[in-house]
Amino acid sequence: MADGSNKTLGEHFNQAEETLIAVSMGLMVLITFANVVARYVFNDNLLWALETTVFLFAWLVLLGISYCAKKSLHLGVDVAINVAPARVGKIMACVSVGICLAFSILLLKGSWDYWYPFVTTRAFLETDDVPIPEMLQFLSVWLNEGEKYEKLPRFIPYFALPLGLALLTFRYVQVAWRVFAGETDRIIASHEADHRRED
Amino acid sequence: MRPITGGKIKPVEVLVLFALVIILLFVGVPIAIALGLSSVLFLLVYSDGSLSSIAQTLFSAFHGHYTLLAIPFFILASTFMSTGGVARRIIRFAIATVGHVRGGLAIASVLACMMFAALSGSSPATVVAVGSIVIAGMREVGYSREFAAGVICNAGTLGILIPPSIVMVVYAAATDVSVGRMFLAGVVPGLIAGLMLMAGIYIAARWKNLPAQPWAGWGEIFAAGRDAIWGLLLIVIILGGIYGGIFTPTEAAAVSSVYAFLIANFVYRDMGPFSAENRQTGNILFRVVSTLWHPDTKKALFEAGKLTILLMFIIANALILKHVLTEERIPQMITEIMLDVGFGPVLFLVVVNLILLIGGQFMEPSGLLVIVAPLIFPIAIELGIDPIHLGIIMVVNMEIGMITPPVGLNLFVTAGVAHMSVLRVVKAALPFVGIMFVFLILVTYVPSISTWLPTLLMGPEIITN
Repeated sequence: MADGSNKTLGEHFNQAEETLIAVSMGLMVLITFANVVARYVFNDNLLWALETTVFLFAWLVLLGISYCAKKSLHLGVDVAINVAPARVGKIMACVSVGICLAFSILLLKGSWDYWYPFVTTRAFLETDDVPIPEMLQFLSVWLNEGEKYEKLPRFIPYFALPLGLALLTFRYVQVAWRVFAGETDRIIASHEADHRRED
Repeated sequence: MRPITGGKIKPVEVLVLFALVIILLFVGVPIAIALGLSSVLFLLVYSDGSLSSIAQTLFSAFHGHYTLLAIPFFILASTFMSTGGVARRIIRFAIATVGHVRGGLAIASVLACMMFAALSGSSPATVVAVGSIVIAGMREVGYSREFAAGVICNAGTLGILIPPSIVMVVYAAATDVSVGRMFLAGVVPGLIAGLMLMAGIYIAARWKNLPAQPWAGWGEIFAAGRDAIWGLLLIVIILGGIYGGIFTPTEAAAVSSVYAFLIANFVYRDMGPFSAENRQTGNILFRVVSTLWHPDTKKALFEAGKLTILLMFIIANALILKHVLTEERIPQMITEIMLDVGFGPVLFLVVVNLILLIGGQFMEPSGLLVIVAPLIFPIAIELGIDPIHLGIIMVVNMEIGMITPPVGLNLFVTAGVAHMSVLRVVKAALPFVGIMFVFLILVTYVPSISTWLPTLLMGPEIITN
């Protein structure tokens, strides 16, 4: 581990992403567990618990896919890549990173199209049970013609879609750069390379 | 753009869709993106669906399927339970119980895998937790590396058959059957599969004259059992909690994560501020609270989060593909074709097994289930096959898919823990794969193996679809 002082921006970003992944996991468990405790110990029901956990889940995964893309962790089939000669392998890597870029750009477009109405024409739509923190009420002035939000407006949790896919697109542009530069020959998790040692 | 084509898609166009998925997979595209992009292209070319509806489907993987929320929690519980100590205690207990039989260490390894499977919902996790300890142990007393690896690779697949099971959660979410019922249904088949593997090992041990461990006595059984009981209580919490109506499967999963966290930190002390290597002094209360942000806890949370992301990305994209298929009424089309051909239940199940076995060679189990389950579910109902029985058949197929190349997750993981090449593991696993095949045929044509226990405890299945 590098010292705090001489870390690059990328390393800071890595650490921030890893911490976020861990914290979201922890919060999801704690909230769900708290709901069980509330029900049996305090005879109460945390109405917002399930929906909040679901949104945390969505944020965890949608933002996490770009982290996994950066680290080439996504699962795939590597039999053909492993037997292909170097030149063919390079072409395959270029094709597959192109396909990943196409996917992330198409879905980024879809996500934006889906999200945009929620922040404009349908900005009045609220979540079912998640309360809104008072400090976010300025949003009601900006987007809801001054009418106070009673619950968290939907465009906030749904923002995971465009944000996550924008990050994914960004990461695949970086990966594409590495593939073209010849620094890497695959964009999926490798099984063979790790375990080739025999004793 | 063409007009709405509901029901007008030709079979050949569906084949193009699946061919595209397979081609993309072999080029080296991640499984999730191969599924997602093929569906998007299919939708844009053959139908008039919008990109924004795809994004909505992607989000609904989380927002529309509350059952899937159990997955991260089961992964997390399994991560806390995999810290080493739990597996070691279970193995000690297994060796004390059956180690003195001929081939005892291998038989005990199967028993340990079965017990660990009851704490963990995943096969690779079971292989890693048990395999990394027993393979070295078996080598020491004279087993060949191949034999040891073959045993673990196969016994590890019980992780998805013995509850809890991530693959069963996915099946339940895809077909709207009850998670609790699926979990119960896995118990008897899991025990039978384990016993069949043990019997196979015993015969091989007689034939190859493999060693037996000395009988350690009842004292050791009780001592080891008392030590292992904290881990094994997890399955009691999960099953008892769900059937007792105390909590939902998702809550059961969350409670078991918290339980596993407490056991790992405070009872077994394999991680956190109370473990041997991190022993600190200072205020006891502060140390208790500090387990929440201890680096070991963070690492476990992060690892579980990472696995969740990888798995859910595949499942979410498989849901997009499923969305496209159902939108185009393709399950109905396939049902009609199959019924027109005059398929009976027996032949239908042969076809299901073939599709799943072939699919299982290339796909990650959860993703494959999400796609295949809605395709064959309506036909199965039409033919009077019990949905729970169908689910168990699918899970057993997934097990075999995990130990056959090219995409057998268990093969890769075993290669890692046994320090062997994947090809050697494939060969080593082969004799036991034969046993699993016999087991698959048994499960396929004797439905009561799967349905007896859930029907006994929860009453007969009511088919809602």
